[in-house]
Amino acid sequence: MGLDINTKKLKKNAFRVSKVRGIGASRIRVPGGYLDARVLGMVQEIAQEYGNGFVHLTSRQGFEIEGIRFEDMDKINEKLQPIIELLEINQEKPGAGYPASGTRNISACIGSNVCPFANYNTARLAKDIEKAVFPNDLHFKIACTGCSNDCAKARLHDFGIIGMTMPQYDPDRCVSCEACVKGCRALSVNALHMENYKVIRDKDKCIGCGVCVTKCPTRAWTRSKKKYYKLTIMGRTGKRNPRLGQDFLAWADAENIIKIILNTYAFVEEHISPDAPGRKEHIGYIIDRVGFEEYKKWALRDVELMPETIMKECVYWDGIHFDR
Amino acid sequence: MKNDYIPQLSTIKEVIRHTDLEYTFRMEYEGEVKPGQFFEISLPKFGEAPISVSGIGDGTVDFTIRRVGKVTNEIFENYVGDRLFIRGPYGNGFLLDHYRGKELVIVTGGTGLSPVRGVVEHFARHPEEAMGTTLIAGFKSPKDVLFKEDFDFWREKISVIQTVDAAPEGYEGPVGMVTKYIPTLKLKHLEHASFICVGPPVMIRFTVMEILKLGVPEESIWVSHERKMCCGLGKCGHCKIGSSYVCLDGPVFNYTDGKELID
Amino acid sequence: MGYQLSKAAGDKLLAQWSRNGIVFAPVKMEGEGCFADTDVVRYGNVTSLDQVEWEKKSDYSFKEILLPINETLFYFTEDQTMVPKGKEQKILIFLRSCDLHAVKRLDQIYLHNGGEDFYYNRLRRRAKFILMPCAETCDSGFCAAMGTNACEDYDAYVSVEGEDVFLDIRDEELSMWGEEILNGNSETTVALQFPKENKEKVTLPKNLSNESVSLALWKEYGDRCIGCGRCNFVCPTCTCFTMQDIFYRDNTNVGERRRVWASCQVDGYTDMAGGHSYRKSQGERMRFKVMHKIYDFEKRFGYPMCVGCGRCDDVCPEYISYSACINRLAKEEQTHEK
Repeated sequence: MGLDINTKKLKKNAFRVSKVRGIGASRIRVPGGYLDARVLGMVQEIAQEYGNGFVHLTSRQGFEIEGIRFEDMDKINEKLQPIIELLEINQEKPGAGYPASGTRNISACIGSNVCPFANYNTARLAKDIEKAVFPNDLHFKIACTGCSNDCAKARLHDFGIIGMTMPQYDPDRCVSCEACVKGCRALSVNALHMENYKVIRDKDKCIGCGVCVTKCPTRAWTRSKKKYYKLTIMGRTGKRNPRLGQDFLAWADAENIIKIILNTYAFVEEHISPDAPGRKEHIGYIIDRVGFEEYKKWALRDVELMPETIMKECVYWDGIHFDR
Repeated sequence: MKNDYIPQLSTIKEVIRHTDLEYTFRMEYEGEVKPGQFFEISLPKFGEAPISVSGIGDGTVDFTIRRVGKVTNEIFENYVGDRLFIRGPYGNGFLLDHYRGKELVIVTGGTGLSPVRGVVEHFARHPEEAMGTTLIAGFKSPKDVLFKEDFDFWREKISVIQTVDAAPEGYEGPVGMVTKYIPTLKLKHLEHASFICVGPPVMIRFTVMEILKLGVPEESIWVSHERKMCCGLGKCGHCKIGSSYVCLDGPVFNYTDGKELID
Repeated sequence: MGYQLSKAAGDKLLAQWSRNGIVFAPVKMEGEGCFADTDVVRYGNVTSLDQVEWEKKSDYSFKEILLPINETLFYFTEDQTMVPKGKEQKILIFLRSCDLHAVKRLDQIYLHNGGEDFYYNRLRRRAKFILMPCAETCDSGFCAAMGTNACEDYDAYVSVEGEDVFLDIRDEELSMWGEEILNGNSETTVALQFPKENKEKVTLPKNLSNESVSLALWKEYGDRCIGCGRCNFVCPTCTCFTMQDIFYRDNTNVGERRRVWASCQVDGYTDMAGGHSYRKSQGERMRFKVMHKIYDFEKRFGYPMCVGCGRCDDVCPEYISYSACINRLAKEEQTHEK
């Protein structure tokens, strides 16, 4: 009797059809790439018991357990349960594995858990976003990165969230050492200069990277109490028109960003091409088709931006065109 | 309580131009001053600069200023009929008693002549107070020579070697570093010799080496150092070398102490 | 005089004190550390015991109270100067033993090296020092090696242990201000908590001299140091400043002269008009600093400058340990002797 499997269903269940007949792979999402080390042992166990003993660390910070047999999917789903629970992944039915795979794992750079440059806890925000958006079959790629260095390559995502801080300057603590000015010039956008022995910040130029804060030897520069983020949108890789995501918001808050992402799901539901294979169409192509104004209308529904948030009224993309 | 940071307004009585870059400002000042001491001279909003006294008159002090920085530039720009803020004098200065009755040799490099000019002037006016006075004054080139009129007078009273590092063809007069002239000195009484050496750090180093070669004991050599004396009061720390504060313990050091100073 | 009070009474006493003076103590400033979501402990105003950071040593010392980071010396117009009026209110400073020893070093420079400093003096006269306990040694301090682990010349000692507050008040004014609260409490003997020994063991080199200038280790430190000056700025005994003249933008003929903290590790410290400067390499600057802390100052004033608080070790972004450097100097000396 031949293998009779609904591949659409197995894909949604976070398995993959491989090039070897009867053999697939199990995909484990790790929001923010941040995990309790015990998960590693569990992954190892599944790989050794049901797979070929090898695991791929995916480019989106998940695991892909290779060489599993489709017959074992139910047993694997049971084995995945403690991982799903440890990583607190939203799930509809315990023991049934992942409820969706379209919305990809939310990836993140290492963030402020470790990195001195990061402006926020990227893993925590990745998890918050995961909680808000998953499960969903629509193809969304979201990444969180701690600062404008963008080690997470957030700009290659539909939504890139780049940490910012609004540098707070206390001139009474400033000793005119110019470490911030030199740092900003060498490592960032040269937004600082000295006047009357004190530092002047060009507010329009400043990207909120926080270099001035890390360079300051006296705590004249500190981070804002409020966390700020830059939201870049509709970056993508792919065959037709790979491109970097463009700034949509700067000095935005996480709550509104999550709202915009959720609004975008509704936008996609409305405008996705009926011909999209497996309901998979990059959001960017949908916006290219229906226009940014239409997208903005959807995205900003119930969004009340903070006064300091800067929103681009119109966003233009470029990138490499192989489709013209 | 006395506030040593408050400067006094002082009128510029006269400006003597030596070169394009070096002027002497004769400033109003009542009070005791010793050659080798310095003042903090300032133009509000441009800052203060430590400037040594290059002459002491009746109710005046001279400052020979080289136009090299923000403050001195501004002083040059704004002096006409103007006033400057001054505070001082600071530092120990040259104590003439150290040189009285001695065979005194003064070696200077460039503006290093300014702080010691008062000493030269004194022994030129009272040559009998010393066993003999020689001035070896070096300048970069003939156009950098300072105090030209003084030299004419000094030449009559004391022995003067005024040399330039380099000179255009046809220049008559000594050429070469000051160090070249030290071995040629004919000192009558080595044990009574007293040396003063003022100039840039490198010049001081090599000059003292030459002086020591003559067999002059270290305690007979006096040097004057210049550092970034921000406050002149022993507080700001910028002029500290080793355990000495140039503004308090100097700028004039006996070489036995001066040699211990390592920046 | 020693007292044991309840915490509530202790708080009342502190409130009473803060009505009569401004109380400064180490305070944890949340989110104000160098990195995201890190705190800094530095001096701030307090009115209750819980606002004080009792556990962690302050990252920046108390010195900014007696020696403000930026201090206006006078305002000027084209031909006049005006000194800002000082305040009269007393200043109460909570600090640990090492830091109280640092006050002596500040006094040394600002009151006894040359004339008395007008601005320091007028702040210093208002200051009272309230000693905090060190129940245990901190990680990086080496106060025992520097002889600064215990002290006597405090105005009051305050220690919070659970729900009790232990006090030893020596200053009359502090007693007087707290009279209402202290009256009725029987006097007791309060044992001061000082660290007897430290985790960080430091041996001071005994025979430093100008020869030490040529040691190879300075070059190595020079390759590592980035010249940020943090070690100076956190140090309770560093006292250097630079003068700054600033003018007001609306009327450029009016302005003020300030003094601002300076660091011997940061570019520009020795720059003279005309471009000449000394100690161009970081290695020379490190040598200058270390020699000053444990040799030059002592040669001039009879005791070492460093109080062994360890803050410079904690703050260095390049992990240059000053205490390790001292130990290396001592070790080099030993091997030299052998």
